[in-house]
Amino acid sequence: MNLAVSKRVDWEGQRTDWRDRLYRFYNSQAFVAFLFLLVPVLLLAALKIWPVFYNLYLSFTRYELFEPPRFVGLKNYKYVFTNKTAFQSIINTLLFTIEAVPVGTALALIIAKLLDQSIRGRVFLRTLYYLPVVSSVVVSAMIWRWIYSPQHGLLNYFLGLVGIPPQHWLNDPNLALISLVIVTIWGSIGSNMVIFLAGLQDIPRDVIEAARVDGASPVQSFLRITVPLMRPVILFVVVTFTIGIFRNFGLIFMLTQGGPFNRTNTMVWEVYQNVFGYLRLGRGAAISVVMLVIVLILTLISFRVLRERQGA
Amino acid sequence: MATLRANTDGTFSRREASLPLILTYIFLIIGAIVMIMPFVWMVSTSIKPDREIFGDSIRWIPTELDLQNYSDAFEQTNMPRLFVNTVAVTAVAVASQVLLGSMAGYAFARLHFRGKMLIFFTLLTTMMVPFEVLIIPVFLLIKFFPLAGGNDILGQGGTGLINTLGGVMFPNFVSVFGVFLFRQFYLNFPKEIEEAAIVDGCSRVGVYWRILIPNSKPVMGTMALFAFLWSWNDFLWPLVVVKEDSLKTIQLGLSVFDQEQGTAWAELMAASVMAVVPVILLYIFLQRFLVSGGLTSGLKG
Repeated sequence: MNLAVSKRVDWEGQRTDWRDRLYRFYNSQAFVAFLFLLVPVLLLAALKIWPVFYNLYLSFTRYELFEPPRFVGLKNYKYVFTNKTAFQSIINTLLFTIEAVPVGTALALIIAKLLDQSIRGRVFLRTLYYLPVVSSVVVSAMIWRWIYSPQHGLLNYFLGLVGIPPQHWLNDPNLALISLVIVTIWGSIGSNMVIFLAGLQDIPRDVIEAARVDGASPVQSFLRITVPLMRPVILFVVVTFTIGIFRNFGLIFMLTQGGPFNRTNTMVWEVYQNVFGYLRLGRGAAISVVMLVIVLILTLISFRVLRERQGA
Repeated sequence: MATLRANTDGTFSRREASLPLILTYIFLIIGAIVMIMPFVWMVSTSIKPDREIFGDSIRWIPTELDLQNYSDAFEQTNMPRLFVNTVAVTAVAVASQVLLGSMAGYAFARLHFRGKMLIFFTLLTTMMVPFEVLIIPVFLLIKFFPLAGGNDILGQGGTGLINTLGGVMFPNFVSVFGVFLFRQFYLNFPKEIEEAAIVDGCSRVGVYWRILIPNSKPVMGTMALFAFLWSWNDFLWPLVVVKEDSLKTIQLGLSVFDQEQGTAWAELMAASVMAVVPVILLYIFLQRFLVSGGLTSGLKG
């Protein structure tokens, strides 16, 4: 085609040549990449990259929205680690994680293992276990508020059957956090189970079969073979689950609003309170930065462990 | 007790149920009952008259059907308005995340250009940053959005995109997860077909539009389902952006309804049923996309 074009020297031919070059530019990899990436990359830069740095900047300022941010050094961080309520939110987040993650992860792994065999109705059962994940946090919270209701709630009714007096689940300082933990575990088993089911596909069947032939009980083979081989997947679930708890805002908003006596005041709630309650954006930013640092450390740990496994 | 067991070759053989199998079933079924009991309780409450809700004993199946709760909840929450808003926000999020995700995924999977790895790994890093941590800057971005809601070109003077559906949609236009999902899919797509099309004179944009897009249905289904779930169930961001009742999404309307109604449990549960049923139906029909596409490809990277 190019040969034919270059042989023609008339006006018509020159135009074809010009068009040809334009087309080649339009069709170049760099231009098409620019065309395809412009909008997504600009949006992600504005929504994911710039905010990280601007948040960091805000954490060193006093900012109440009506006047420009004023630099205050480390004052906000000092506040986060010395103010009783703010520091309590860090402790509460960690407590929440410690109470929810081990139990929730273990349950999800056991259920995944049991569903990972050719039993009847496994697809149906899997769907049932996954339903709480599909339901929104607002709907889940609403249902559980009704279940936890002191007078006519389902939970107190069941406890009454075995002679336990009714509890004020969400208003009792000693029970509020554990009540949220129960909802969180219920809501996360499905998604963690799906990840475990995917991970279980990679475990060679013949290893399990060999153990069975050698006389290992199902429990032994689970503890000695499945759990060690699934270590990276377990770690992945622990990290994503923990991050999910750090992000868990809706449940606290709907069920306890951080109370009673700050017992369910987690970091994400503390950020929300500072920013949209008291209009202290600098303090909120500082708490967010602390949150982000914890999340990043957890993620990096998981990457490291995953890489070690792949390298071995 | 004997059960039929599916063999790998598709036949069935009868075998005696072993003790572990029975225990497995008991455990799984009790677990499943615990998992769905809250939903059953929600539906049960939503169709009961009040005197059965506040009676002394628990009734799972009401003696008489009371659908009044649904019409009450429908009117009091202004459900049609909430639905329209949520569908609009969700539809834009789904369409935009599928389109932009597939475009960026194609560029990263197939095209060579300077700085590709740098951009790609920068985006990869942002996946570790939860949205909740960035809520302050993103809120300020929406509030000081230039030339919107009375703002001047520098974003001063007005309310920006606060209290608009555009403001609710804005952070959901593109997801990094989607970019990686599509990239992964296109990396595994046979190159020969595209090369043949290019030899035949098809442009790169044409290859994308005529060959990759029509063949991306599974990954589009996965992306669409995830985008739908995120957007439909999103709570914190609409809460922060929307103040006016006429702009509220279902989740937001429901959460406020909860505070206003106090203990009108029947109406609350009826409203919850209406909010959750579309999602559950969609999930049941599309769950193969969720399980096959999304999570496994995310894991294996």
